[in-house]
Amino acid sequence: MISKSLAQKVLNVALSTGGDYAELYVEETTAESYMLENGRVESAGAPQTYGCGLRILNGFRSVYGYTSDLSPKSLLSLAEKLSASYSDPRKFTVEKIVSPRVKQNINIKDHIRDVPTETKLDYLKEIAGIIKDVDPRIVRVQTGLSSSYRQTEIYNAEGPVGNHFNNVQERARVFMIAIAAGQDGIETAFSGPGCSDGWSYFTEKIDYRKLAREAGEKAVMMLTAKECPSGRYTVVITNGWGGVLFHEACGHPLEASATSKGLSVFSDSIGKQIASSCVSAWDDGTIANEWGSDNIDSEGVPTQKNELIRDGICVGFMVDRFNGRRLGMKPNGTARRQSYRYCPTSRMSNTYIAAGKDDPEQIIKDTPLGIYVANFGGGSVDPSTGEFNFSASEAYIIRDGKICEPVKGCTLIGTGQEVLMQIDRVGNDLALGQGNCGAASGSIPVNVGQPTIRLKEITVGGRGGKLE
Amino acid sequence: MNFNKFFELAASRGIEESQLLISKSNSLSISLFRHEIENFSVNDSQSVSAAGIVNGKFGSSTTQKLDKDTFGFLVDKILLTASLNEKEETADIFKGSEKYHKKTVYNPALAETKAEDKLALIKSIEDKTYAADPRVCEVEVSYAERESASEFYNSYGLKLKQKSNYFYISVYAILREGEVTKNNYAIVLDKDLSAVDVDALVKEAVEGAAKKFGADSLLSKKYPTVICRDVMASLVNYFLSSAIADQVQRHSSMLEGKLGQKIASSKLTIEEKPLEKNVFFSYFDGEGVARTNKAVVKNGVLKTYFYNRETAKKDGVESTGNGSWGGGSIDTDFGNVFVKPGKQSFDELIADIDDGVYITDVAGLGTGMNEISGDFSCQAEGFRIVNGKLAEPLTLITLSGNLLKMLKDLKGFANDAKMTVQSISVASAYIKSMNIGGK
Repeated sequence: MISKSLAQKVLNVALSTGGDYAELYVEETTAESYMLENGRVESAGAPQTYGCGLRILNGFRSVYGYTSDLSPKSLLSLAEKLSASYSDPRKFTVEKIVSPRVKQNINIKDHIRDVPTETKLDYLKEIAGIIKDVDPRIVRVQTGLSSSYRQTEIYNAEGPVGNHFNNVQERARVFMIAIAAGQDGIETAFSGPGCSDGWSYFTEKIDYRKLAREAGEKAVMMLTAKECPSGRYTVVITNGWGGVLFHEACGHPLEASATSKGLSVFSDSIGKQIASSCVSAWDDGTIANEWGSDNIDSEGVPTQKNELIRDGICVGFMVDRFNGRRLGMKPNGTARRQSYRYCPTSRMSNTYIAAGKDDPEQIIKDTPLGIYVANFGGGSVDPSTGEFNFSASEAYIIRDGKICEPVKGCTLIGTGQEVLMQIDRVGNDLALGQGNCGAASGSIPVNVGQPTIRLKEITVGGRGGKLE
Repeated sequence: MNFNKFFELAASRGIEESQLLISKSNSLSISLFRHEIENFSVNDSQSVSAAGIVNGKFGSSTTQKLDKDTFGFLVDKILLTASLNEKEETADIFKGSEKYHKKTVYNPALAETKAEDKLALIKSIEDKTYAADPRVCEVEVSYAERESASEFYNSYGLKLKQKSNYFYISVYAILREGEVTKNNYAIVLDKDLSAVDVDALVKEAVEGAAKKFGADSLLSKKYPTVICRDVMASLVNYFLSSAIADQVQRHSSMLEGKLGQKIASSKLTIEEKPLEKNVFFSYFDGEGVARTNKAVVKNGVLKTYFYNRETAKKDGVESTGNGSWGGGSIDTDFGNVFVKPGKQSFDELIADIDDGVYITDVAGLGTGMNEISGDFSCQAEGFRIVNGKLAEPLTLITLSGNLLKMLKDLKGFANDAKMTVQSISVASAYIKSMNIGGK
């Protein structure tokens, strides 16, 4: 998108006032999206994103700017404007730019952009039909597909030899939303499988018909669910998307953007026990063709499998280049951003609690009274206090070791420090679930994940009074 | 760029009617950490969005890549997306309103103020925040300024332009007492830098955090509940989202079939005033329709839904000037909302509460809110109200209820209304009873 010689010029202007690192992130993304209402295409979109972000670091200081005009004049002027915030002598000049090889974690054979539009629309219409046929109380079905094809070029330099990386990210996600109406109100259920993979992921790898039926069934079932009780209870959380608990309560506070400044409850935790000893956890951006995976991160560092917690002991953070400086830690391929409009920072990719030894069914059998969370809507966390909340979109009461009646309006709250120590059972059924995570560097695709886990006791909020 | 060329190209390729939106924005942001500039950012970007009608079907696209191929790209994508559109209703492009209420809200003085002066201002805020309390251990102060201009054209010769700018200062204070940390934000959004009351901003951030020490949970039950302005603004925002006609027509709104009915306490009056001259001013909507001020709820009675041209046509009414368009399909928006405040001071409002709760912050409303039914449950913090006065702080409690039920149980507002960053002006609200979850 821009030539090596222009990139070199821009980097050198950027570094002229004493910057010790400069980076250009050039992006061109074409996307397609389809939204269907009750099986009928209501909107189709084909937007294009185009521009460049420039960052200059100088010790613990960072300047960032972007523009959608990639002409030499515009880029050089941006470099001048940004470099004006430093006034030190030049530390080095970029003399040449090399292109290191990067291991490819994403290998796609059947590109989604090559699949005829009619095929994609037929697929979404079939899903809509399956959901609608579940029950006459389903009054509205929304299905959709969004996919993007992003080409990026990263040029960076922290010495006379700069680097150049080309990267392509192809991602797609399907949305299935079932809306059921009954006498007492309206309920919705959602399923949203996604990948950095080809079309066969949606047609063969996942059982989309089953997901569609389940979405319909859940919406209908929640119509008759009672209000969730409130108080402190034992809670068993499902595998896969249930990992949003770990993502919110523990993943965010383990990002270097929080830990480097002493803003996180886990700031000085390396080597200390932060979780019950049955818990080990990873952030792995290298899993082949997964939703949260990539070949390199958005500052040009290859993605890695990073260990965060080993047998309850904190052993690592997600570290980006800038925050790594305060921590004295090397960047580990976790700097991410939504687009060129965002300055990159440490973020999660595919983050999960590792599989344990327990049979998930046995975990339920060993729980006399509690709540089983089968699905979450999502949640949020305050990294400085560790306080988190998340709301269950599907939950049940556990009585005498059996999953019983469904409940709605269930919110779990607590602190990350507390909840990690409260995990007393970890199942052997690790699975991942797809989501979009919003933070300082924008909304990015992430996988959450975990096996079935049990929390001894946690605060549950709902409108249903005490659990009996 | 010569935009007439777009309309000529579109017409020659069989696009019957079309419209263009040119958006330009530039922004500046500075953040401090431990007395140093930690982040400094200057940005500028532009985008061109286009929409057109082909055989009565709407198609659209948007791009930030401006070169000789831009118009060709946009026309290709309009033709493609229109051909896929299966909506039964035919669409058309709006020709123009009879009258527009244009006002100048752009403040050149803000753009002309030197970056050094803006930096000096936030440095003084940072110093005062550290000095305000010995327990202040970290402070993050940031300044963001944004200037945006948009131009709207259509194939009928309509030309509309607006330009605005504003700044946003946020102060985040973290206080530590032993092992316990508490934090709080204070935010100001305006277009006049001289209007910033630094001392008040610092006081709000630091005292807000300091008051949280010693917080505990409380017994789960129903309590008379007073809700602070920022939280109330979020709840009003959800309520108004369900007044969007599209949601109503798709049977996905708690306000379906409620037009003209009493849906809330008679203490509730909500007006949308897009023409109010402030940073949220807007005189035309995403379809080029003139915006107007209107009552949405008056004394508890629902007076109107928010319509764009398509949803208005379905209900046989006129658009309320709430169309929004950023390049994809035409949507609906609202802003510059004023909820009528009460006459009592905050202290008077809580004076008759013997055992209640004052909510100062919530988290997780985004996922804890069922936007269709209005049922919600979220994490909250605040204070107990005992014998008519604020008492000990509360943390890790949950607030749950139903939005419509809550607005029916509204006993009144204080007289402390302020405009929030969500573009909703609202006062502290007293709700007869809400579910608080704790121990």
